[in-house]
Amino acid sequence: MNLTPSRRGLLAGAAASLAGPGLARAARAPGGADPRFLIVLCGTGGCSIVDSFLAVRESESANGSTLNAWPDQLVQSPGGGPFRAIDFASKTIGAIPAPFTANQSDFVKRHGQDMMVATYTGTSVNHGVAEHRSVTGNAAWRGRTLQEAVALTYGAGKPIPNVHLVNGVSFTDRGTDDSMPSSVYGERAPSPNLWPLSLDGRKGVPGAPDAKLFEAARAFRNGTLDPESDFVRTFGDSVRLKRWLELRGAPLKDIEGADLITQLMVHSDSEDMPLRANGLKSSPLAKKVREAFPAYGFDPLESQAALAFLLIRCGVASTVTLGPETSAVFNKGAALGRGGLSAGDMRNTPIAFDFSHQAHREVQSLMWSRVLSVTDRLITLLKNEELAGGKSYWDHSLVYVATEFGRSRNRPAGAMTFGSGHDLNNGALIVSPLVNGGKMLGGVDPDTLMTFGFDPLSGRPEPGRHMTEPEIFSGIIQALGIETPGAGLPDMRVMRRKA
Amino acid sequence: MRMPGLFAALTLAVMAAVAVAPAVVSAQEAAPASTDPRIKFKDGERYLRDLSETFEIPRDEICRELSRYDCSNKAFRIVLGGVDPYDARVMQPLDQATLASPIAFDRVALQVCANRVAKDRADPAKALLFKPASGRPDRAWRDALTDRLYDRILRRDASVAERDRMAAFLEGVEGRTGRSSRGQSEQTLLACFALASSAEAAFY
Repeated sequence: MNLTPSRRGLLAGAAASLAGPGLARAARAPGGADPRFLIVLCGTGGCSIVDSFLAVRESESANGSTLNAWPDQLVQSPGGGPFRAIDFASKTIGAIPAPFTANQSDFVKRHGQDMMVATYTGTSVNHGVAEHRSVTGNAAWRGRTLQEAVALTYGAGKPIPNVHLVNGVSFTDRGTDDSMPSSVYGERAPSPNLWPLSLDGRKGVPGAPDAKLFEAARAFRNGTLDPESDFVRTFGDSVRLKRWLELRGAPLKDIEGADLITQLMVHSDSEDMPLRANGLKSSPLAKKVREAFPAYGFDPLESQAALAFLLIRCGVASTVTLGPETSAVFNKGAALGRGGLSAGDMRNTPIAFDFSHQAHREVQSLMWSRVLSVTDRLITLLKNEELAGGKSYWDHSLVYVATEFGRSRNRPAGAMTFGSGHDLNNGALIVSPLVNGGKMLGGVDPDTLMTFGFDPLSGRPEPGRHMTEPEIFSGIIQALGIETPGAGLPDMRVMRRKA
Repeated sequence: MRMPGLFAALTLAVMAAVAVAPAVVSAQEAAPASTDPRIKFKDGERYLRDLSETFEIPRDEICRELSRYDCSNKAFRIVLGGVDPYDARVMQPLDQATLASPIAFDRVALQVCANRVAKDRADPAKALLFKPASGRPDRAWRDALTDRLYDRILRRDASVAERDRMAAFLEGVEGRTGRSSRGQSEQTLLACFALASSAEAAFY
């Protein structure tokens, strides 16, 4: 199902075209004809590239025993491509008796042709600052975020172009480019399972009047009661009130008109979610989404991913931001008492990747495996849905695994369990048919485990060079086909498909 | 006793002023715009606590999504301006209303009004909002309903003009709701919703 372009969407595009020369070009980019979808998957806490696709074997490093080089047998080279992978099992996560088995190589085998790893060195090891810089390229383009740039270019006609599903992180902070229409700034969907209920004012409310009467009451309120009230006459110039009254107009009609309370409802009718008794029903796509993300009811990342798919598939959003929460997540019924947890019971470590401070290797392995597993299932769903002309939704999508920073490389000699700190040096994983897939851009010095950069046009590895946040930002923007005249962004040709 | 001429003139002037009083009130309704219009959104929790008190429905019963999830604490906590530091790690209320905020607010207002009207229908002796007309609903019934709604929801008297507007609205929807007791309760619900979801009810 594709939603037809709405008045609001057209207005958003029009507003963008008035905002400035660069924006005007961006607004004319192919919003409807050739859509693009950006999925930002936040690896909160520092997902380390040398604990995944640029892992170094102990035997390859002159300092393998004191740096975070992995035992040779745990470092895989799946599919013969440029990417490495860590497949690792442990009975504990640091001091926590939480056995798990982690796997990265399956993802590489399945999606290696669409994977691109680009090394870079960031500018902050502060979580909040680095998170925001990872999506703005350290204010590379007037401070707008990747999500906002995508929503501006490809969000026309979509009821909620930019949806933020993950909470408590700065990957979703608003950018500092105030020149854009408000419709491109992120909409927070803080509880994915219940959020669809907030997208209709009447359906499913016991004792609600019929739609025509309800709209008559709204029309009375909007057209007479409010405008003629002393309150609105007195405070009508309030920015808050103006926005409120605007949102009640076309945006509200777009959202309710698309029946998102149904289209985005992942849950089936159940005791916990008595939809039928309240006159509601599941999305027509809900069954396949639930099959892909069976833990959607209790695992926040799976519930986010389920909703993310529906937001894209139902034409609601052009960009979604999701990611592991920073609270521990356990399997349903996991016993936390004597005897410890069963294998796989801990799905998400506390503070996500940042629990590497306590148990670097276990946390990196478990959390990478978790992120890759969800990404794999999301990609599979998108691949199985045709958008148009024999092309799937995945053919138009890009997953950016955003993170703040890498992790420190040292370890006590020979230790398997150790803690790590924050380090500016890292690399980014981008997965998409739109990027120069199957490429490892840059490399790693096996004796320091520090990554080095590449030539942005040819991709030739350049030891001693460090790619910057603006360069990674630009590469993603350009792979997504967003025009950037006057922005001064570097040409990152090698990150684009068929470079 | 003959009144002195000046006194008589003053008396006539006062009587004339009283006679045109509605016009004077009407003119005064054009409230001046504030030069510093600072208002706050009455977040979901504050809103429901207020209506819980004034609608005489316990706070934990006044609005439950799918009959299970508290509208403010659970279902729409962040969207309606709340914080959730422990579970969602949302430490600050949203700077701006989200696209969903006014929709969720409408939904909550409708639930609360439907809840109260249902109670009024179930127990007319304790009815607060919906009180059936003794005969055909007339202007007096509509004015009484308007007064009850303004008193309960906005905690102030309705002005003459506000009574007129509400009466016109109720007359307008009567063709669809009918004049039966059921229709009157539906009119009560619609009027309650319009007022409970108004800007004056949402902000302070």
